[in-house]
Amino acid sequence: MSFPALRILSAVVGMVAASLILPMAVAARDGEWRSFLAFAAPMAASWLAVLALWLSKRSRSEKAEMTVRHAFVLVGGAWTAIGVFGAIPLWLSGVFPSFTDALFESVSGFTTTGASVLGDVENLPRSVNLWRCMTHWLGGMGVVVLVVALVPILGVGGFRLIKAETTGPEKSKITARVAETAKALWSIYLALTMAETLLLRLAGMEWFDSLCHAFSTLGTGGFSTRNDSIGAFSNAWVEIVITVFMVLASLNFALYYRALSGRLREIARDSELRVFATIFVSALLVVTVANACNMPLAASLRYSAFQVASIMSTTGFGTSDYTEWHPVAKSVILCLFFIGGCSGSTAGGIKVVRWTVLAKQLVCDLRRLLHPHEVFTLRLNGEPGREKLVPLAASFIFAYLSLAIVTAFFGAMAGLDITTAFSGAISMIGNVGPAFGDLGPSANYGSIPAALKWWYCFAMLAGRLELYTMFILVGVAIRRMTARSSK
Amino acid sequence: MDFTKKRTIIVGAGFTGIQLARNLVAEGGDVTLIDNDAEKVSHSRNLLDCAVMQAEGNSLKTLEDAGIASAGALVTLTEDDETNMITCSLVEATHPGVLKIARVRNAAYYLSGPSGGLPIPGIDHTVNPDVEAADAICRAISHGAGGNVIELGGGFGIVSLSIAEGSALAGLRLRDLRTIPDWRSLVAYAESADGASLPSGETMLPAGGRVGVVCSIADIPQVMRLAAAGDGEPLSRVVVFGAGRVGALVVDRLCSARQANAGTGVNEILLVDSNEELCREAAERNADIRVMCAEITDEDFMQEERISECDLLVAASGNCDRNLVVSSYLKSRGVRRSIALTESSELDDVGRKLGVDVAVPLRDAVVDSIMSHLRGRNVRAVHTVCNRLFEIVECDVAAGSRVADKPLREISRPGEYLLLLIRHAGEEVFELPGGDTTVEAGARVVLVVRAGDSRIIRLFGGKA
Repeated sequence: MSFPALRILSAVVGMVAASLILPMAVAARDGEWRSFLAFAAPMAASWLAVLALWLSKRSRSEKAEMTVRHAFVLVGGAWTAIGVFGAIPLWLSGVFPSFTDALFESVSGFTTTGASVLGDVENLPRSVNLWRCMTHWLGGMGVVVLVVALVPILGVGGFRLIKAETTGPEKSKITARVAETAKALWSIYLALTMAETLLLRLAGMEWFDSLCHAFSTLGTGGFSTRNDSIGAFSNAWVEIVITVFMVLASLNFALYYRALSGRLREIARDSELRVFATIFVSALLVVTVANACNMPLAASLRYSAFQVASIMSTTGFGTSDYTEWHPVAKSVILCLFFIGGCSGSTAGGIKVVRWTVLAKQLVCDLRRLLHPHEVFTLRLNGEPGREKLVPLAASFIFAYLSLAIVTAFFGAMAGLDITTAFSGAISMIGNVGPAFGDLGPSANYGSIPAALKWWYCFAMLAGRLELYTMFILVGVAIRRMTARSSK
Repeated sequence: MDFTKKRTIIVGAGFTGIQLARNLVAEGGDVTLIDNDAEKVSHSRNLLDCAVMQAEGNSLKTLEDAGIASAGALVTLTEDDETNMITCSLVEATHPGVLKIARVRNAAYYLSGPSGGLPIPGIDHTVNPDVEAADAICRAISHGAGGNVIELGGGFGIVSLSIAEGSALAGLRLRDLRTIPDWRSLVAYAESADGASLPSGETMLPAGGRVGVVCSIADIPQVMRLAAAGDGEPLSRVVVFGAGRVGALVVDRLCSARQANAGTGVNEILLVDSNEELCREAAERNADIRVMCAEITDEDFMQEERISECDLLVAASGNCDRNLVVSSYLKSRGVRRSIALTESSELDDVGRKLGVDVAVPLRDAVVDSIMSHLRGRNVRAVHTVCNRLFEIVECDVAAGSRVADKPLREISRPGEYLLLLIRHAGEEVFELPGGDTTVEAGARVVLVVRAGDSRIIRLFGGKA
């Protein structure tokens, strides 16, 4: 790896290491000294390494232009590195039975999946719980985006790094300069987190739980400080606040920037937002009506709204076990696993914009059958000529489903039943968290074999980085290995 | 100042350049026409009694050889917008007193104002034939495609229409028009098989002839109904043939009018062209229309899209002859009304004989627009009508003019001109004048005069 790449990588890991201060402070306050050391040791080690690297000779190559390939490899490598680094304090704290479990928990956290290997999280040290939720928050908006915002690395290629990390088929800067874009996104993210923390506190949660759940919600992760997730609080106001913020976190953050800039007409014209709203409201109506067969309408609305928002935003919080719902409600929830949130959000999944593009193309194709001479153009957000997104969306969905099939196959090889294997695969790649069958909202991932946990780690990272970044990283690694072995 | 009294240099000897030169020469003007194409120069020399130079018109030396120092106006009409604009800018730098008019066809360079193009620094006036033609087509559509409509401002317009056999106007003498209830209009000119004339009370309105009627915009439907021009039915389904400049502008204007709920009654717009690139651009530009890439006369296509059931065809392709043929053919197949873009008003007769309801000449509007600028500040607009036999001139009465402050009956010259409308100084709306109406200085008048008779315009717009 070249010198500037190492510098960027060290900045990313250093940034994550710096964030360990918060759980360290909690550990010190609560007298959790083993946890304190578990956080302090990797932080100190990484900072020493970063310092040594940044003080060492500065080669001329650090001003070199970052190529597209560098950016993909670097972001893929950085995410793998922070997954491993985040697992170290969890492992050292002694609450995870093995490093594999700590790694699964860490990757699940950073990729905002929220699938836990632990059945009992209420007895974990508070600092460990805080760190679990913080990984969601850091991974949600993206650590590389944060680094680009705060560290003036190289000065070039920052946008390529952000493109390799953010979600959606099209990446654009919301401001002229990439560092300002990154700062704007993180500022909005921070403001929303603070707002949710305050509202959850007002709704009756303790400050600590409010902060942890705000981190989890805005990152659309799903880790909770309670075994029964949000259901443990039995508080309708808490559920309302979290439902609203899950939806907000699964919208494109560029929309908030436009709202703050007064460009409200652009927001009203946003195709993805409209389709997201349509899908959300339709799913909510169907699930509410289906659940009303087994419970009062008001209760049905309450649980359905929370769960629809939770799955569509790929958060994975739970207030009730949807695997015990009416089959119609269950099938709607399963469909939502495939949709995901909006591009440019912290949510996972295939993303609404890709389905929107394909649906519009389908309508064009059908109309072309009836009117063979008519000229059609695909409009997105009122802009014409967006046909170029169709092959991108189609190939992404093909890659997504292919990876899901391979992952489901590995799940089946590890002994999972077909429902669990397939829904688990979709849940991992979509960064949702809970699945169906043996991996439903009431279960956890602790019992699956270690080899499958490693594969799931890859699937979660691939899903978070929208497949291509990890595919390229693996491709480059394989090519290097084959080149080395042939020498 | 009347610029036609001084030398006019025209760069570009295309159709418009030759037509403009012909008009100016007919008025006794001093014209120098410049083009670098030997064939065009030779053709112009055969047609025109004026100086024609074969040289690069954008060269300052050429312009100086042509006498730019003593010229009143420079008109640039080459095919290239940039050449037209830069030539004007060059002359602005060396001879700022010369009036500079440039033809600009690229919409990005053309700043549309309330009465034509806005001036660009270095260029006194810009003219855009496509915009003028598209506006004329849209005016005709907004009045039911029964005839050409010229809007004069102040709530009045001139509608040029054919008198249908058996209509209320057919066979009437002008003096009998007063017997028609609520008739508040004036006939500006009349055209029959025997020729065209400035009308008098004895003029007969024959069936099949054409008349130009001055009336308030609100009265246009009544006039059309009396002449049985148009059927009064709304034009709901419109097919536009040609996605080039004019077709695209027509579609844009129809869409804007529909969005502004301007009551055009147009519900569905189909744009048809065989050029894939133009179709794609049109489809991207307008979300509210359907764009078809096809030969409009293809039988399968016509059936698929029920073209013959359309209410109106606007043939606005770049091939003006084809526009006439397509209009005629589709009317024969059942399309109710048709508007065709033609090269010049000389083809109006052909169009009418082919059954086209409204023919909009592409070049004439530009020549009219340039002529209005050349005739000085008092002349606000010139519209050539009736196969270029007459001109409708909108001008301000100059202080000290020979007609100023005299009643109309004292200044009338039967057979030479007619005063159609007058807007008294300080007032907003035009009115139809009577014999006692006084034409005071500062009033705006609308006259119909014989084409090329600049004496009448000087009578009103110039000093005694």
